[in-house]
Amino acid sequence: MSSVQSATDIAMEKAARSLKKQGSLASSSVSQEYSVRLQKRHGSMSTISFMDEPHGDNMMHPPVRMENTFQLQPYCRFPDGQVRNIIREVLEGYLAEERYEPELCRQMTKTLSEVVKARVKDLGLARYKVICIVHIGQLKDQTLRMGSRCLWDPKFDTFASFEFRNKSLFAVGTVYAIYAD
Amino acid sequence: MDDFQSSEETAFVVDEVSNIIKESIEAAIGGNAYQHNKVNQWTSNVVEQCLNQLTKLAKPFKYIVTCVIMQKNGAGLHTASSCFWDNSTDGSCTVRWENKTMYCIVSVFGLAI
Repeated sequence: MSSVQSATDIAMEKAARSLKKQGSLASSSVSQEYSVRLQKRHGSMSTISFMDEPHGDNMMHPPVRMENTFQLQPYCRFPDGQVRNIIREVLEGYLAEERYEPELCRQMTKTLSEVVKARVKDLGLARYKVICIVHIGQLKDQTLRMGSRCLWDPKFDTFASFEFRNKSLFAVGTVYAIYAD
Repeated sequence: MDDFQSSEETAFVVDEVSNIIKESIEAAIGGNAYQHNKVNQWTSNVVEQCLNQLTKLAKPFKYIVTCVIMQKNGAGLHTASSCFWDNSTDGSCTVRWENKTMYCIVSVFGLAI
């Protein structure tokens, strides 16, 4: 029995192999045909029913293709109130006891703008670009005027700002949020 | 970015923008000395003029323009900005301008749409 089985197995394998060969032959002939048709094009329509292209190992892991989201609006509005609180916390936390010193403040503006940006990023707001600007100045009876104007979409783009001052310095933090899809 | 548009046409060119800023400041303030009651007007003029010229470039950008004018009396002022954006398309440009009596600092941020 076992010998019979093995014989049938062998036969099946052979059949499979020959089938494979035929298949590959057929496919190559199809692609040849296709290319010929492409070259000629006698005003006729041709559709590809089968193509057998060589592919390397990377076909084992095809690149992930995302579906379209068809999302034309932000997932949530930019929480300007919350961001204003962040700016206030950061400015008050770092500057409450500081006196104006040029070198310290030079470093401080950079640090604070980074900190505010990081805190806003932590809110996890997708699709918003963020710009943080921090000004620190000395209070010395000078006048100073700050203004800004933006060309943007008022429906989604917004800003948050907070001004802090103590006895010797003032600080203004502004965060602009720009929606980009 | 689309292939049929050259990158120069749609990119944020800092030289171009810095020229616009300088011209706007010159046009708005020029050789004036610091006058308390004019500063308000100057600030809005500078920003307005900048934005006007930027829109004329007709590039696919959103713009943020900020302007600070400060009287010169020895007081210090520090400014820093940090951005979370697409580095390859978005850009910024800051110009510091001064005359005998005041400083004017203008920043433009351009964010590609």
